[in-house]
Amino acid sequence: MKLIRRLQYFLRRRRQDTDLAEEMRFHQAMVEQDLERSGMTAREASVASRRAMGAITRMREESRGVWIWPWAESVWQDLAYAARSFRRQPGFAAIAILALAFAIGLNTSLFTVFNAVALRPWSVRDPGRMVHVFSLLRDVVKQFDETGGFSVAEYRYLAEHARSMTGLFLMRSEGGMHTGVGRTRAMYVTSNYFRVLGVEMERGRGFLAEEERTGSAEAVAVLNYATWQNRFGGDPAILGRRMRIEDVPFTIVGVTPPDFVGTSPEPTDIWLPLGSMALLAPNDSWPVKFLNDRKACCADVAGRLAPGITRQQARTELGLLREEFYRQFGEKSLGVVLAGTAPLQSVGRKAGNFYAVFALMFAGVMLVLLLACANVGNLLLARAVARRREIGVRLSLGAGRVRLVRQLLTESLLLAVAASGLGVLVAFALPGPLFIRTVGEVSFPLRPDSVVLAFALGLAMVSCGAFGLAPALHATRGGLSDALKQRGAPRGRLSLRSSLLAVQVAGSIILLVGAGLMVRGVQHARTLDPGFAVQGVASVSFDFPATAYQTPRVTGFYQSLMQGLEALPAANPFGFTEIEPLGNTRSYTSFHLPGQDRSHEDGILTNHVSPGYFQTLRIPLVAGRNFEPADAGRNVVMVNQAMADRYFPHERAVGKTVIVDQPLEIVGVVRNAHTWTLDDVDPAMYWPLSFGLPPRLLLSHTAANVAAVTAMSKSLDARVEMRVTRLSDNLDQWLSATRIAALIAGMLGILALSLAVIGIAGVFAFAVEQRTQEIGIRVALGARPAQVIAVVVGSAARALVAGLLVGLAGAVLASRLIGKYLFGLNPLDPLAYAGVLLTLAAAGLAATYLPARRSLKLDPIRALHYE
Amino acid sequence: MEKNSELLPGTLDLLILRLLARGAMHGYGIALRLKTISGDVLQVGESSLYPALQRLLLNGWVKAEWGASENNRRARFYTITAAGRKQLGVEREEFQRVIGAIQKVLETA
Repeated sequence: MKLIRRLQYFLRRRRQDTDLAEEMRFHQAMVEQDLERSGMTAREASVASRRAMGAITRMREESRGVWIWPWAESVWQDLAYAARSFRRQPGFAAIAILALAFAIGLNTSLFTVFNAVALRPWSVRDPGRMVHVFSLLRDVVKQFDETGGFSVAEYRYLAEHARSMTGLFLMRSEGGMHTGVGRTRAMYVTSNYFRVLGVEMERGRGFLAEEERTGSAEAVAVLNYATWQNRFGGDPAILGRRMRIEDVPFTIVGVTPPDFVGTSPEPTDIWLPLGSMALLAPNDSWPVKFLNDRKACCADVAGRLAPGITRQQARTELGLLREEFYRQFGEKSLGVVLAGTAPLQSVGRKAGNFYAVFALMFAGVMLVLLLACANVGNLLLARAVARRREIGVRLSLGAGRVRLVRQLLTESLLLAVAASGLGVLVAFALPGPLFIRTVGEVSFPLRPDSVVLAFALGLAMVSCGAFGLAPALHATRGGLSDALKQRGAPRGRLSLRSSLLAVQVAGSIILLVGAGLMVRGVQHARTLDPGFAVQGVASVSFDFPATAYQTPRVTGFYQSLMQGLEALPAANPFGFTEIEPLGNTRSYTSFHLPGQDRSHEDGILTNHVSPGYFQTLRIPLVAGRNFEPADAGRNVVMVNQAMADRYFPHERAVGKTVIVDQPLEIVGVVRNAHTWTLDDVDPAMYWPLSFGLPPRLLLSHTAANVAAVTAMSKSLDARVEMRVTRLSDNLDQWLSATRIAALIAGMLGILALSLAVIGIAGVFAFAVEQRTQEIGIRVALGARPAQVIAVVVGSAARALVAGLLVGLAGAVLASRLIGKYLFGLNPLDPLAYAGVLLTLAAAGLAATYLPARRSLKLDPIRALHYE
Repeated sequence: MEKNSELLPGTLDLLILRLLARGAMHGYGIALRLKTISGDVLQVGESSLYPALQRLLLNGWVKAEWGASENNRRARFYTITAAGRKQLGVEREEFQRVIGAIQKVLETA
């Protein structure tokens, strides 16, 4: 109540003031009247009453003070004052706010993405108690501890015995399924999934325990809210409706609420009970193995901590249970690790790489913010110097220094908050589309939330302190005499400007070098020879309706296809491969050399290829021979140069034996090719093609070839879906993230450059203004233009050199950090460095040109009369 | 100037409420009445009277309205509210208690 009355008073404070004034007048008149009655003359009475009323102003202040905390009113005054002064100098305010808004917008956008992928947990009930569980395993290739999932058997043991969790569920995403309404992203889950998550169904129910088992009476499914709306038109009678998945009829039993987006970073369209895995591939042995074999890898496990249990306690218990499980079979195991449920945390320890990239990006945008702050600080300083008289007068009239500093800081805060507001708008518009373009469709929202808003506000405060405090302290230093002299600026003021200038130069060098290197890196990657034919090669994948096909039939399909293609001279050469070149898939196996035991096992990349593979991709044979059709099923392999160099450094690899469960003979060595990644080529081993997984066809990408393959596939089986991609598209995709990164880095660089130019120009203009008289005297005494310019430039030369040196040192350090994202480009690439220095020099010249010209045009007479 | 007796802190609010309990008054009237009733002992200056009135307004114990004074000038009249009457009761009791206590100390010590 009191607060409301205070507020009412505040809103009508003008009116209240006049009321009080009138009340006073009335009171005074009454006193006067009394005095007159007691025998004074009207004149005497008037004087006496006025004296009696005494400190009327103080009384009014005190009356007002009852209503408003005095500081609140003075803050309001400060704000109003600041707003007025900005209205008088809209240009200054606009530049300052825009520069800050850019910088804060970039920071807030990046933080919005970081918040969405690394901080925001699943949108479920009490998400802080949900944890992701990972098994610890030893990475066979990189030789350090890695995290992975669990086999179903392992999960069941943990779920049954764990006391530290109120529920543990298992989930496995399945890329695409045929449903007759487009491809569907499904997730297999245990029946307790929705219950443990605490998802309140929009319609219907979650899964029942009996639906989880294989061979359950009825196949059931739960739809995502969006799927229900988009593909079923929000059909109110959706429950009980049938839909065909891979030709198997499923009954829809539930729909999730709109705010539940699933537990996978990619969108999930439909949830299926774990048991239906076998139902969907009745002819395949894999689901049965997956559901029962304790070594069949693997699925994600997550759960809810029991009340009062810490993550550490749960981790200990689950780790012990896992060991116990393996001890039954006389095996050893490493423990488990727990992580939160934000998308980035759902990849286990691999998240470390992402954090590193985020740290680099944050360093970049923070640098931009620093530059913007230095710039605005400089502008404020120039402004404060221009207001020296005003500040001096106020100081000498008794204004407290603290009060003045507070008022100057209020101005800075107003700028910072306005800029933050704009920055948040940027964060609403920028991250979503950009992220989806670079990374792909995601299930989680990329919008600022309260955490992001708090971050933006925090940035405003911090940056306000960064750019506002020093100028405010400087401006209020010294007293009236200093201020009114307006000359002989204390050294300190110039040196603050100089150090701000040095910061700007250094920061922009670091950013520009980073940007230059990124741009050069992408250029470099484009010219990089991938070591195989990319242009004009098509990759064709075939998709078989899983329920209708089993392995022999798939093999038959390929054999017919091969015969057809061989009869077609234009289609030659063609080849088959299990792994699509640059298709972002890898498979590893572990092997050892004869005479070593299993503890020497090493991991190696593998691929299954047909004899035509190397020819189609033009990967030359270095030694030995190529595969031939008769090799299928024989114990022979081919390796790449990297494998031969590492394991048989000074000998011929051809004819040697490697052991993968059984001895395999190396029959050929091929040149290294970047078919897996564009980074260094790792050792790889090729096996003769088998048809375990439907392989992809590689052949020359011509309209005739595509038509011929389409016709053949259709005539063999119309139900087989065919997809054609160009290998060059794969390469482009591989480079697109980097290209966008380079683009962003380039924009940051340009932003940094323009901030630096504004800063440099400002400093020199100020220097000319400060030394107008001195320059005037020099010109009058006959100084040549070069000498005058030397005076002007010399005033900031030390700052420029210092900034340059610090910037270069910082840039060298930064280059080493981004070195691994440059596709092998030398991080000290001379072209990038030279380009940056030239650009900066040109920008610096441009920035000094105007002030320098002004100094040359100074009329000595007028200069001496200045003041 | 005559010698004023200093009021105990907080008693001014109590006295104003008590005066207003008999009917609406303007600021000057309150000062005058206080002086006459107390036989010129209690003279309250404007610089404490008006802030006190604002304080009572803020607490919602009195209301203010503009009206015509005895000599037909525009004056601001204060009336006590229901909350103010309740407060008057509370403060009066409290005052009695404190006075009684002081009395006791003076007599027995």
